[in-house]
Amino acid sequence: MSDSDSIKEKWKKYRNPGYQDKFDYSWGMVIDLDRCTGCEACVTACQAENNLPIVGEEGFRSGREIKWIRIERYWDGEYPDIKLRFIPMLCQHCDNAPCEPVCPVYATYHNQDGLNVQVYNRCIGTRSCAAYCPYDARSFNWFSFTWDKPLDEQLNPDVTVREKGVMEKCTFCIQRIRQAKDTAKDQNRRVRDGEVQPACVQSCPTQALVFGDRNDPDSAVSKLAQNPRGYQVLKELNTNPSIIYLKNL
Amino acid sequence: MSISVLPALDASKKAVGIFVVGLIAFVIGYWVNRNYFSDATPVQPIEFSHRIHAGENQIPCMYCHLYARSSRVAGVPSVHKCINCHKVIATGRAEINKLFNYWNEKKPIPWIKVHDLPDFVYFSHKRHVRGGVQCQTCHGPVEEMNRVTRLASLQMGWCLECHRAKKVENGRDCWTCHK
Repeated sequence: MSDSDSIKEKWKKYRNPGYQDKFDYSWGMVIDLDRCTGCEACVTACQAENNLPIVGEEGFRSGREIKWIRIERYWDGEYPDIKLRFIPMLCQHCDNAPCEPVCPVYATYHNQDGLNVQVYNRCIGTRSCAAYCPYDARSFNWFSFTWDKPLDEQLNPDVTVREKGVMEKCTFCIQRIRQAKDTAKDQNRRVRDGEVQPACVQSCPTQALVFGDRNDPDSAVSKLAQNPRGYQVLKELNTNPSIIYLKNL
Repeated sequence: MSISVLPALDASKKAVGIFVVGLIAFVIGYWVNRNYFSDATPVQPIEFSHRIHAGENQIPCMYCHLYARSSRVAGVPSVHKCINCHKVIATGRAEINKLFNYWNEKKPIPWIKVHDLPDFVYFSHKRHVRGGVQCQTCHGPVEEMNRVTRLASLQMGWCLECHRAKKVENGRDCWTCHK
């Protein structure tokens, strides 16, 4: 069997409903919108953790900003009866991700941990995935960015710096998951609940974001997901996101 | 009267002569490039011989590269570690004097990395050492090398050959190694 055949077969397997039950981990997140104050600490933390470039004012205006997580702002009602709502929006790591089948080079696929993987080295920059993503979670590198000295010293060595022409998006801080799994393997155990915290979860001052293994019924995410306030964004599209939002009442 | 051997030769002999000269130049150029300019066998600041240390004197790899068992990087020994032994062993030799120069200047030795992986690859020595992979599987018989040569291509296909053969758990998932 050639490699591309085996990739196709693997891919088909991962796209069957309920595939994640067969695997050890199924990483997911719960975001409590009642707690979110829109402070954007998660955005800043993500920027620092994942070597996101700063595109500048002009780049931002032309819609070329690179954000793995952003805070969406909604105004409810008219002044003075007005309410402000925030929704942190990041890659939902959908179980039926619309971005995956459209990639011509398998640069994005689902892996055994329920993560939507982006492989920078495979990506040829067709941007189909971004066009199909209903959450607008993907960013394209229109340029190769450089960091002036001494700012290059702050780059995270565990995350690569992406080149011009590749798509990128939230990885659920794969470097931290990998690190936790490495430690767990040394001690011959599973990754404990709360052991992995992506940068956004770690930095959230109100702990609105919770990360964990959805396959483990005792994990904080699984318990919070039972909350009647829980919903998935654009559920009607049947993407089955890994992120559960708890409604802001 | 001009003296030249060229008119005395016919065309075919000229061609052969040019070919032979070209061949010799190519062989010498290849040898010089391979020994002095290649990234697989870089010339190191000190002519350190793994053959003497690891081969003849049987020093275990992890006596000097002591983090291989417990960390992602194997670790290059500190100058202090070299000095530890060379205070008393083989003193006065030219290469050992170079070592003492670095020691006196309190500077690290600028070793040139032979097995260098690209920025986008996650590799952990710990995982491989604890998984029972011998150092020589990837690094070649270093204990027989005077100057270390990189024998492996270190390309993805080369890694995957082993991951496939050993049926490594999730060993073929992109995010196991790409970051």
